[in-house]
Amino acid sequence: MGKVKIVIVDDSSFSIAFIRNILEENGFEVIGEAGTLDEVKEVVADKKPTLVTMDMTLPGTDGLECTRAIHKIDKNIKVIVISSMMDEEIVREAKDNNVSAYIQKPVDTDELVTAINRITATEELYDYLQDEYFAAFKEGLLDGVNRMTKTLLTYKEEYPFNKEHASAGITVIIGIIGKFSGRMLVDMSKETANKLAGALLRREPKDINEMIAALAEFANIISGNACSILNKKSKALGLRVAPPSILHGDEVHISAPDFSTMTAKADTDYGEILLNAGFKRGEEKWM
Amino acid sequence: MDVKYVNPFIESFAIVMPQLGFASTQKTGIAVKGREIVNTGVVIVLGIVGEIKGNIVYAIDYDSAKKIASIMMMGMPVTELDEMAQSALSELTNMLTANAATAFSNIGIIIDISTPTLLYGDNISIKMSSEKVLSVKLQADDIPLEVNISFENNH
Repeated sequence: MGKVKIVIVDDSSFSIAFIRNILEENGFEVIGEAGTLDEVKEVVADKKPTLVTMDMTLPGTDGLECTRAIHKIDKNIKVIVISSMMDEEIVREAKDNNVSAYIQKPVDTDELVTAINRITATEELYDYLQDEYFAAFKEGLLDGVNRMTKTLLTYKEEYPFNKEHASAGITVIIGIIGKFSGRMLVDMSKETANKLAGALLRREPKDINEMIAALAEFANIISGNACSILNKKSKALGLRVAPPSILHGDEVHISAPDFSTMTAKADTDYGEILLNAGFKRGEEKWM
Repeated sequence: MDVKYVNPFIESFAIVMPQLGFASTQKTGIAVKGREIVNTGVVIVLGIVGEIKGNIVYAIDYDSAKKIASIMMMGMPVTELDEMAQSALSELTNMLTANAATAFSNIGIIIDISTPTLLYGDNISIKMSSEKVLSVKLQADDIPLEVNISFENNH
């Protein structure tokens, strides 16, 4: 990751110069400044900063209105409020408006630099997870099928999942929780589920309950292994899996979540298996 | 499973729903079910890890789901369960479960929640990991909603 690009929003030229000095002396790049709502919108849309420092009292607007305007342009831009006012009420309001940190003026250099580093480290970790997670889940499924049924599997397509789709028959959902939260979902026809469960049990499942129990454990192992691969690469992720829930019914549709997930379809000896997983960009943990 | 684990969900319902424009909330029933839940309509599943491990499943019939989404969207009419309505309902369960997690932390139990997964369909059968599921029936402005709590055995 390159230099962190920052826009300073403040109506005092003294404050802007002061904050700019601190930032530049500590290796950050100041790419713009603004003092009104219109200027904020313009400079943010134009310069696309990683982060914005935000004064609370501004002529004709306030820091929270500007923060909302920034997040309308790009919700991933981080905002740090730097204001002389600070009380519980306003800090809570700032949190509600997705502000990442709140710092009181006069600015303490260490406090500001620490806040920026904390925020960008979270960003980097999320980017890292986005790059790595789906390969880990695919490996988990491939390895799981291979080791538990001694057969091979071929992935045939892979695409971002952004529209609802019909379940093929049986869906297993596993919630994932750690530094970022997400989920893994496995979907297949009842016929495939039955054959796969037969291979896992090395005999015909006695009834649907036994079939479901086998699938639950199968999905549990896959998600657990995938999360272990990711946790080994970066301890800070701390991913853990919740117990599986298994669903089936008539005309079941799976809704697209409001964060990006990936789907892959795999051909197996037992039929097609759909694998879907994704993680949400976390809400900032406040200090 | 201890019934005290139900209170955080009732508390959270009473706190969250009024913030979303509902005038009244009440608990209308509580039942212990086996590990299988059946619902026609919307089902939203969230995972829980921490000092307690398990799942929360929200079950809502189609009509109620549309009514809830409509109130959450400032009274905008919701005639079908479109993407916007689904997103509102997912966010609702996220808020309800996150607030319940805060209530758990107030009694010294630290838990974290996963993202919600929403499905809809007819006769959806959901098999949970625990032997028993606590099912709490709640109402906001007379619209019913069911919260099913499945915590693993050690609790």
